[in-house]
Amino acid sequence: MRLSRRDRIVLIAPLIILLGGWLIGPALLGLLATFTTYSPFTTSFSFVGLDNYRAVLQDPQFGAAARNIALFVAAAVPLEIVVGFGIAYLLREPLRGRAALRVLLLLPWLISPIGSGVMWHFLLGPTTGILDFVLGRLGLPDVTSPLGDLRVALPVVVIVEVWRIAPFVAFLLLPGLASIPRERWDDARLSGASWLRQILDVAVPSIRPLLITVTMLVTGLALGSFDAELILTGGGPGSATLTPALYSYAAAFETNEWPAGAASAWLIAAAVLAVGILYIRLSAERDSG
Amino acid sequence: MKTRVSLVALALVVFLVPLAWTAIAAFGVVPDNSTRPPSWAGSFSLEHFAEVGVAEPTFWQELATSTASAACAALLTIAVAYPAAYVLARSRARAEAVLAPGFVVLASLPAMSYVIPLSDLTRRAHLIDTFAGIVLSEAAVTAPLAVYVLHGAFRQLSVEWEEAAVLDGAGLWHTLIRVILPLVAPSVVATGIVVFVIDWNLLLVPLVLTSGEIKTVPVAMSDFFTFERELNWPTAAAALVISLVPVAVLVGLFHRALQQFALQAAGRESSDE
Repeated sequence: MRLSRRDRIVLIAPLIILLGGWLIGPALLGLLATFTTYSPFTTSFSFVGLDNYRAVLQDPQFGAAARNIALFVAAAVPLEIVVGFGIAYLLREPLRGRAALRVLLLLPWLISPIGSGVMWHFLLGPTTGILDFVLGRLGLPDVTSPLGDLRVALPVVVIVEVWRIAPFVAFLLLPGLASIPRERWDDARLSGASWLRQILDVAVPSIRPLLITVTMLVTGLALGSFDAELILTGGGPGSATLTPALYSYAAAFETNEWPAGAASAWLIAAAVLAVGILYIRLSAERDSG
Repeated sequence: MKTRVSLVALALVVFLVPLAWTAIAAFGVVPDNSTRPPSWAGSFSLEHFAEVGVAEPTFWQELATSTASAACAALLTIAVAYPAAYVLARSRARAEAVLAPGFVVLASLPAMSYVIPLSDLTRRAHLIDTFAGIVLSEAAVTAPLAVYVLHGAFRQLSVEWEEAAVLDGAGLWHTLIRVILPLVAPSVVATGIVVFVIDWNLLLVPLVLTSGEIKTVPVAMSDFFTFERELNWPTAAAALVISLVPVAVLVGLFHRALQQFALQAAGRESSDE
């Protein structure tokens, strides 16, 4: 239908108001505030240029958080995509009870990140946990909760996050994989391609746009990781699982260092926007080419 | 084929055993790791579900708040995203090629990157601790994703339907609601459900926009632990099970509609002009 200019404005106005008032507007005002000493608890404030960013970047705590999140993203995102792809690949052809399987395998994603944190806190804990139960049954000695171990706390948080997100990735990838025409698989199979070659030569190119969109979404989730650590580890032990989002939250809402909180929050936004620009370029290339 | 079935079984074990462990604990069946080898303790009972209301007297109210706010936020998300997605789907190809992925980037933006100023603005607008404040902010979180998904559904539609309706003299709203909505209804329902699940599970947004007057379940769960009122495992498990039930029931009921949920409409290339 031909939309007049007026039609367009009327149709997008509600979205502009909602996003302008509750997402983009606050984000941009927040950006302006990071160049000042602004805090809602003080009456006056002054312009300080990049001082807030300098302070945050020089804080060893933030350094630890930045290192952790880099490792977290580098490990969690590929694992989520590979495991999620694997599940979707297994379910791509009609299988008895596929509809039911698809819903059952989505269950971990239905749990809130905070709920998942509560759950794994107990499952990995000593008295009633699943880990010690299984080890004990196998006749192996108990372990202390891996969440308290400096070296394994972060990998454990990654695994818990993959457990929760990979099912969602599978849910998003399945329609794409299921819509690949049968002949393409058959051709590959007839030419003697191994299952790995079939995945790389048939599946991945066919769903590439979908795959990069899902990667964008889970990368954003990982960069802002907050809820998962809040209960599971609280950022500890020490700062082994501290993330920039936890750092930023603690600064703004717990220790009343509003400018540091706002500046570190914008560093998270900047990281996501940098990935986002890359993503938009990749997508636009595909559309014009 | 055999490998495929065993791999599916493996996936089911890995992803569902932790949930099953939690579910049986909620009914009072817990392991006892102090014995050698570990044994099962406790017997089947429903009392832990009642204990949730004792440990957190406002739990049932929080459950109602969560359900109502997520439902309202999902409805608002769809109401706002639907017309905007339509405009996006009918824009010039070059504008759409940048704007559509732009919405994915907005959907990927972590709430932490803007909740600090959002909490300040909400306080100044006297929306702190209000139901409306939660609903509006949650809808803003999920609207970008809904715009992206619905725009894909609109692109799948042949424009002939709309043109026929316009030739019949139908107006803009009539065309959008009476002609197009029935055609994309499965996608709209599926998107609404996915959005509901996301809104239901949000923590940071309701957390910073409230100070205890009004609480959603995830906020209450974070309280249990951060204020050292740690629950015992069966009670925590019961709370988890209760908080999972509404979304699980919804997803189960609408699993057919959810089959229609496509982040990107299939056969996208062929629907280009």
